[in-house]
Amino acid sequence: MTLHLQNVGRCIGNQWIVRHLAFQIGNDECLALVGPSGCGKSTTLRLIAGLDPVSEGSIAIGGHDVTKLTPAERSIGMVFQSYALLPHLSVFENLELGLKIRNVQCKDRSIRIQRVLDLLQLSDRASHRPAQLSGGQRQRVALARALIRDPEVYLLDEPMSNLDAQLREGIRPELRRLVLEQQKPTIYVTHDQHEAMAMANKIAIINHGQILQLDTPINLYKNPNSLFVAQFLGRPQINCLKPSDNQIQAIRPEDLKFDDSGLPCRLLSREWLGNTQLLYLASSEGDLRMIMDPSFECPERLFVRWDPQKAFYFDRETGKRIP
Amino acid sequence: MKMNRSIIPLLIIWSLAPLVWQLYTSFCTDQALVMPFAEHAQRWTLAHYQSVLNSDPPFLNYLFNSLFAGVLSTLLTLILALPASYSLSKLNQRTATLIKALLIGCALFPYVLLFLALLEVARFLQLGNSLIALSIPYAALSQPLAVLLLTNAFADLPTELEDAARVEGLTLLQRFRWILLPLIAPAIASTSILVFLFSWNEYPIALTWISDSSKLTLPVAMARIAGSSIHSVPYGPYAAATVLGSIPLILLVMAFQKPIVSGLTSGAVKG
Amino acid sequence: MTTLLLLLLPSMLFMAGVFALPLARYLWLSFHADSVMTGLVAIPNDGANWNRFLNDLRYWQDLGQTLRFAVASVTLELLLGLAIALLLNQPQRGRALIRTTSLIPWALPTTVMALGWRWIFNTPYGPVNRLFESVFGHSLNALGEPSLAWLTTVYADVWKTTPFVALILLAGLQTIPSDLYEAARLEGAGALTCLKKITLPLLLPYLGLALMFRMAQAFGVFDLIQVMTGGGPASSTESIALYAYWNALRFLDFGYSATIMIGSFIILTMMVAIAWVVIATARRRSVVGAPS
Repeated sequence: MTLHLQNVGRCIGNQWIVRHLAFQIGNDECLALVGPSGCGKSTTLRLIAGLDPVSEGSIAIGGHDVTKLTPAERSIGMVFQSYALLPHLSVFENLELGLKIRNVQCKDRSIRIQRVLDLLQLSDRASHRPAQLSGGQRQRVALARALIRDPEVYLLDEPMSNLDAQLREGIRPELRRLVLEQQKPTIYVTHDQHEAMAMANKIAIINHGQILQLDTPINLYKNPNSLFVAQFLGRPQINCLKPSDNQIQAIRPEDLKFDDSGLPCRLLSREWLGNTQLLYLASSEGDLRMIMDPSFECPERLFVRWDPQKAFYFDRETGKRIP
Repeated sequence: MKMNRSIIPLLIIWSLAPLVWQLYTSFCTDQALVMPFAEHAQRWTLAHYQSVLNSDPPFLNYLFNSLFAGVLSTLLTLILALPASYSLSKLNQRTATLIKALLIGCALFPYVLLFLALLEVARFLQLGNSLIALSIPYAALSQPLAVLLLTNAFADLPTELEDAARVEGLTLLQRFRWILLPLIAPAIASTSILVFLFSWNEYPIALTWISDSSKLTLPVAMARIAGSSIHSVPYGPYAAATVLGSIPLILLVMAFQKPIVSGLTSGAVKG
Repeated sequence: MTTLLLLLLPSMLFMAGVFALPLARYLWLSFHADSVMTGLVAIPNDGANWNRFLNDLRYWQDLGQTLRFAVASVTLELLLGLAIALLLNQPQRGRALIRTTSLIPWALPTTVMALGWRWIFNTPYGPVNRLFESVFGHSLNALGEPSLAWLTTVYADVWKTTPFVALILLAGLQTIPSDLYEAARLEGAGALTCLKKITLPLLLPYLGLALMFRMAQAFGVFDLIQVMTGGGPASSTESIALYAYWNALRFLDFGYSATIMIGSFIILTMMVAIAWVVIATARRRSVVGAPS
């Protein structure tokens, strides 16, 4: 089973929300769509789900063209940012509704619901209303609703953005295991690059409705094709030096080294982060961020140097990478 | 602070004093009404209530007619307004704003000016003297308010709920049944009660459409008593009728004061 | 998109049936004679209705009376309603009681209470006259004197609507975030400044809306007048809606009645348009002057 998008676009009025979307993901793949808010990543998901009409291009699931089909006919499992659980129904009834609509036998329904509740450790919550559940439990119910119909494709729209940071970290490995176990193409939308790197084996960086780069997380980090991608991935953010000759030189904070023959800098501020410390430096080339060992006592004035091989060069006008 | 505390009893007296006077009148004999300070052999009586309840047609008949017209027009209003307001909440901004402006204009319109044309319609289509037919103009006149209130309710629902249901495979009708209607139930309640109150109290159209005395609604029946003559109105029986006619509404207001106020204010906030 | 329009259609058709169609019919009828004289058949009459309308002193007198009624009752309702709402705008017990008692006058059918008022203002037997007599020694003919009768109708309308207006304004007051007042108090603003700079500007949309709706409703006043005074004494309380009603159902002159309605509709539209401009200007000014 594969999900295949060919030159997909959506246009409202005379404005393209997303355009030229093209990728293919297989059974064991999880693709993360990341980008700033309003970049079109959620729209992409809605197009695949069939919630919004496609203006050009085609979408195929397992070789079948589904471009013109309704969401119901596409065999999609989707988890929404707000979980979209019906507040007036219990967990059991929320899971049952979709099966009831599809005329699944009553006995069969109960078995399937019980199985998925067991899988997600929700068995003792079956008769609760969503409002009586914690955020993490609600998220699992939303996931259970997607799993129960055994769909061909999973779409997850910022499924963890409503959870607090600590809970998110706890749920991430569990969610990753569950999704990978299904052996189905999965798309994961998030604005959090860290989450994208943790969950997905491929990441597509989207901006202004276009995919800028689609690759494995490590390749994106090591080999960004544009300034936007370089700045989007990696925290603390990549250092951009003052442009010269229409070129921007960018260097990752961890690649900066102290060297008395290097660029003279002045310490602006420091953040102690536990296992590292982050230094903010001012220099004639612009402000720099630098990662250091936490025990290091930084002087007011210092000199930094970096290996030009590890720096990236971008065109100032287009933001494209210069090899 | 003292002003604040004394305003509440003042407000209650202001609102209820005329009703209390009607209540008092309804139990007084005619002699006691004309000469309240003289000594009377009999001061209190239930005769007014007896005459009202035993009149032809009996007074409860009017209550039933108003109830019937009210319930029917509320149902018809909802059947028309629910799909329309769902549609309005989904239409693009510009069209929706235009239609809403139109609705506000219609809601502002003093509908009493329409009675002549509606009377002609009733004559032409032989709709006079039918409480069922009466609910048609009532439902139509209630559309602006009902559609505006329900559109606000639909627009306030998170769109993801309906998206999730579409992915689950629910058709539009199933979404209405399982998701939309249960979730906007509070708005439906306040809309229904406001439409019901309008229909129950409506006067000019009922006055011109209904002439058969067994089909009169409460407001028209009340006004008929007044119409006889300015000076010889039977105030005792009339006060009894006022009391009887007010009780259902007072109960209704007591039971539904919250949805009434929330309906009225949600209209005001968004309008 | 097509489904959406189909869902909208029935409601819109019903509305067109009761709003647009009657107005079109009135416009057409206003250029025809349609009365007992013509055997209730519409015959074109070359704008004679409109000629009569423009020179109909009774209509213009009624319009003046209707506006007098509308302005007096709506002004009183808004001022009293605002005062009550401000006094009630504190957390307190008995909220449900206040709500219920405020809604009762508004919810009762106008005709029911209109006849009640006739009894209460009755001369000589009503309580108001008895009270007046015992204080001033002579009787008060509240419904028989033209100068008093219209005030009596205004009182009945104010009684019915003031608690209701107060309730709406109270709901508006409760949407104003309390930190605005706290911030103002920190700056040293007094109660009066808070009222002028925070409460009134933020309440203005509610006041404007209440004003427009109440004015339009008062412009079409019918039930109250018809039952309480029948337009009398000597037509001194007659409203335009009542005059149109008499023309249609007492004089059976449908053509002229339709002219009155469409004429009144045009006048009302012009007044609403003017009010709209005034409110919009006031709102723009209040936005500029509002504390940010």
